Amino acid sequence: MKKILKNDGVQSLLASLICILLGLLIGYVVLLFIEPSGAGEAIKAVIKNFLTYNKKESQLKYLGNTLVKAAPLVMCSLSILFSYKVGLFNIGAAGQYCIGIACSLYCALALKLPWWVCTLVAVLGGALAGSISGLLKAYCNVNEVISGIMLNWIILYGTNMLLTNVKEATSPYTKEVARTSAASLLPTLGLGKFFNNNKYVGVSVIAAVVIAVIVWVVLEKTRFGYELRATGGNKNAAKYAGMAEKRNIIVTLAISGALAGLGAAMLYLTSYEQWNCSTSSVPGMGFNGIAAAFLGGLNPIGAILSSFFIQHITAGGAYVDKKIYCAQISDLISSIIIYLCGFVFFMKLMMNKRIAKQEERAQKALAKKAAEGGKEQ
Amino acid sequence: MTLLVQYTLIFASVLILVALGGCFAEHSGVINLGLEGTMLVGAMGGALTMRYLTDKLPTFALILLVILISMAAGALYCSLLAVASINLKADQTIVGTALNMLGIAGVTVVVKAINTAANPDDVSSVINYGAAREKFLVKLGDFEFSWFMLVTLILLVAAYVILYKTRFGLRMMACGEHPQAAASVGINVFKMRWAGVLISGAYGGLGGIVFIMAGASEWRFEYGVAGFGFLSLAVMIFGQWKPQRIALAGLLFGLFRALSNVYSSFDFLAKMDIPSPVYNMLPYIISLIVLAFTSKSSQAPKAEGIPYDKGMR
Amino acid sequence: MSTPSPYAIEMLHITKRFPGIIANDDVTLQLKQGEIHALLGENGAGKSTLMSVLFGLYQPEEGEIYVKGKKVEINDPNVANELGIGMVHQHFKLVECFTVLDNIILGVETTKGGFLQKDEARKKVMALSEKYGLRVDPDAKIQDITVGMQQRTEILKMLYRDNEILIFDEPTAVLTPQEIEELMQIMKNLAAEGKSILFISHKLAEIMAVADRCSVLRKGKYIGTVETKNTTMEELSAMMVGRNVNFHVEKGEAKVGKPVLEVRNMSVASKVHKNNAVKNVSLTVHAGEIVCIAGIDGNGQTEFVYGLTGLEPLVSGSVKMLGEDITKAKIRERSLKGMSHIPEDRHKHGLVLDYSLEDNLVLQRYFEPEFTNKAGFLRRDNIRKYAEKLIAEYDIRSGQGPVTKARAMSGGNQQKAIIAREIDKGPELLVAVQPTRGLDVGAIEGVHKSLISQRDAGKAVLLVSLELDEVMDVPDRILVMYEGEIVGELDPKKTTQEELGLYMAGAKRDEVKA
Repeated sequence: MKKILKNDGVQSLLASLICILLGLLIGYVVLLFIEPSGAGEAIKAVIKNFLTYNKKESQLKYLGNTLVKAAPLVMCSLSILFSYKVGLFNIGAAGQYCIGIACSLYCALALKLPWWVCTLVAVLGGALAGSISGLLKAYCNVNEVISGIMLNWIILYGTNMLLTNVKEATSPYTKEVARTSAASLLPTLGLGKFFNNNKYVGVSVIAAVVIAVIVWVVLEKTRFGYELRATGGNKNAAKYAGMAEKRNIIVTLAISGALAGLGAAMLYLTSYEQWNCSTSSVPGMGFNGIAAAFLGGLNPIGAILSSFFIQHITAGGAYVDKKIYCAQISDLISSIIIYLCGFVFFMKLMMNKRIAKQEERAQKALAKKAAEGGKEQ
Repeated sequence: MTLLVQYTLIFASVLILVALGGCFAEHSGVINLGLEGTMLVGAMGGALTMRYLTDKLPTFALILLVILISMAAGALYCSLLAVASINLKADQTIVGTALNMLGIAGVTVVVKAINTAANPDDVSSVINYGAAREKFLVKLGDFEFSWFMLVTLILLVAAYVILYKTRFGLRMMACGEHPQAAASVGINVFKMRWAGVLISGAYGGLGGIVFIMAGASEWRFEYGVAGFGFLSLAVMIFGQWKPQRIALAGLLFGLFRALSNVYSSFDFLAKMDIPSPVYNMLPYIISLIVLAFTSKSSQAPKAEGIPYDKGMR
Repeated sequence: MSTPSPYAIEMLHITKRFPGIIANDDVTLQLKQGEIHALLGENGAGKSTLMSVLFGLYQPEEGEIYVKGKKVEINDPNVANELGIGMVHQHFKLVECFTVLDNIILGVETTKGGFLQKDEARKKVMALSEKYGLRVDPDAKIQDITVGMQQRTEILKMLYRDNEILIFDEPTAVLTPQEIEELMQIMKNLAAEGKSILFISHKLAEIMAVADRCSVLRKGKYIGTVETKNTTMEELSAMMVGRNVNFHVEKGEAKVGKPVLEVRNMSVASKVHKNNAVKNVSLTVHAGEIVCIAGIDGNGQTEFVYGLTGLEPLVSGSVKMLGEDITKAKIRERSLKGMSHIPEDRHKHGLVLDYSLEDNLVLQRYFEPEFTNKAGFLRRDNIRKYAEKLIAEYDIRSGQGPVTKARAMSGGNQQKAIIAREIDKGPELLVAVQPTRGLDVGAIEGVHKSLISQRDAGKAVLLVSLELDEVMDVPDRILVMYEGEIVGELDPKKTTQEELGLYMAGAKRDEVKA
């Protein structure tokens, strides 16, 4: 038992579960404050999400929706964790995601390019945004958090500007991809039929899982991953060992950006959402990616689970009783969870301290026993 | 032209206040990335005060109360950052980001709950303070002087005095530069950092209410504060963590921001037909370029972002 | 009325244990009022633990502390401050961007309604500075002044607080000889004015020159206290190390071959001040010889090695290895050409602490075909095999073998891992910087043997060392570095420690040709 508790992975899982439980608990308390009578129902709705429906068909259909939105979240959390392994905090994932939206929608709606070209451009756009942060970090010593934040806003306004060219005449929203350029829609691979003909479910869901696995393999099994993790673990030692530190920083942020950009294509090329050309803040997907990455213990496979969970409760927010509460209660819960994720290292420290204390006590007891045994002889 | 000056001054007020907030936290050794959320919480505090008390208080008392409550709300909110980053040694970047998200989600939930409780059909996150807003303004011809401008000036001078002329400031900055040295002469680093973060929250919270009242008579809180918290960080870095330079940087960035609101009234700008998002982008682009050239010799407090541990010497 | 105690501080029978080690074992230290008392001991003898106890950073398991005859409980550095105890730390506790004056008054500021009143403070500082000959510019910023002036600021900090008991922790390590001279005079002035001074050091000459009495610690134990006028350096040295260490390294004649490393006119910038830390250094290391760069810490050795290994760029000069110019070569290229580097700071450069032992052992070779296949995947089985081989050959001990996290290993075994990695790489040139730092006697012998076997295998070895014994015993040639320059070349067989010391202290210098 103790051995299991000592395992780093187990500790991460435990810490994440604590974060989730505390997040839900605090969310529940907030609901109680607003209106005690419906709080239980509301928190249940958030947790149940698509299970709120009684009919299996509906459940499947809305499970499909949750999956469609979880896929880009997985990509954003991969983007965050990939650079975090190298000791970089890619807060710019939000902007890289945004540039992915701009690229994919513009290619689809204005140029009517096939889906794979749209996706590729989105990936390149994200990579470009990421590598700007990388270049600034490597050659000008600009903190990637600060440059990421600046780029987020530059990109947001740029996206609004670009996509105004392809918006509906009467609304601030962009045209629908499905109606404007069917060739730009991501292939569904016929997956929709498993989700009660949900037309949005498709290749993105599978791709997200596959890419998570690839990221894991790259980080853990390859020379490149070895270098990146060494750089994250001890920058000076990496330099001493002749690793190309600057190149690694740039490549890492470019890959992170590519992952976030791909995430955007995965969502917007399903025609599930349109872009509002008067959006006044950077889309939250990138920031939620931070939550998912840390909640998943900075492990790519963990990121799949945590992304699904976060998307699950976010979607669940739509099912609370709107007469009393609002849907943002889910955002509240997930932001509390991120806040608590900041304490994961503290929690692990506490766990290790407790284990060490118990072991010490056990050893003392043993020593005492031995001493007493000695006396008897 | 008057309009441009007016917008410049009011936006500069916001940026200066919030940047000074960031500056206090960083001088004590804590990076406050959660200013965006702090502004929103402060704004909510002030807006609610106006919603309930506009008719019940004389003008002066109302202005004072709005300012104090916004500051208190911001400070209270930042105690979440303080406890996490100072006492529990959490990663300040994660916590700051979480506070931005928590700010917008929390404020939306609260305001919507209040609105819905008052009127079951109202599910919006809007608070109207149009009547109160008038009381903050003095018309000088075309120019609308806001009392907030004066308050900003006072708080700017106060920040300078606190940092450079008082014992408290000297001790706080020592904690941001070399906490071990501060501790070795008997300064309580934890207390000083708490103070820095709370002041940061107060300035940020006040900046929030100034921002939402800058040009609107009601605010939809789910929209947040449009990146002003982040822009203020740029102002702070641009100002090299010094109040007097922050003031200049704030004016410069305020001007760009104001231009995006009023550029169409200038013939030569209107003729150039630059879309308004470009004006919005400009401050960020400029900060990036400046950062690229100045970051090698940054004046940032040396110990910022590093949790202080008593055991480390 | 009781007579006042003759002692400023008495620490009686202090015992402080840490898991697995007794850092202070029944240690007694009595500092008389108005004397200069040296505390002597090697690295790891327990000096810093004892001081941490005195300043309340650690609570001792046993023992009592008296200050001026009164028993005291010190559980916080502030208590020590209030008792009038001040300390100049080895690493100064100064805020770089503050002025000298601000640093001095920090924590004990005079204020009026919360506002700083600096005029009084300035007068007092100037008066103190005059009285004790402590030249400082109160308005200069710490980042702009010399190390010596920074130290004087630290001393003024104590005097400004009217501290009566002054502790100097290895104060000469960072100073130039002139500054050391000056410091000695200042300490004597202070003692003459009635201050009690505790002088922590492991430099015998300085202790003999300035201290009245000397207490010696060895491996956590209290060895004794002697009056310096009744003792000799030899006696003190014997007390410090326990025996007349003259451990001799067995080695045959060097078979010197062709030049492997040729450094010409190298200058390297300093990170601390604006001048170059390494000035116009030229040297040659041949195959089959061990060349040692000797010198007191901080005389440019670190920067020289950074320049040589490519960690820092050169300001000017050139480096040739095996006849090829590598002045601008990347670190990896140097490594591939056959340069190995045992770094000075194993935690900063030598190891990725969160990596396993096996991953650390391939840190210089992970990219070779043996450890990475053509597709870029690591060959874990080969890494494991290689790690197991090195662990066995170099006797690297750890909790779980190859998968132990480097962080969980003892310092000595971490060092062994680095040495194994660097030597097994099969270098033509081995740059070993303080390779025995923090190792016990047995391990030191092992390291020395490895260096000599490299030499005997016809490789070039460049050793950088601060330890006199090592400098005298291991190399075939000694180059002394002083203030960034090579000031002497000595033959260890012909020279003496005394002569070496004169060069190291800058008292003697020759023209040296590379």
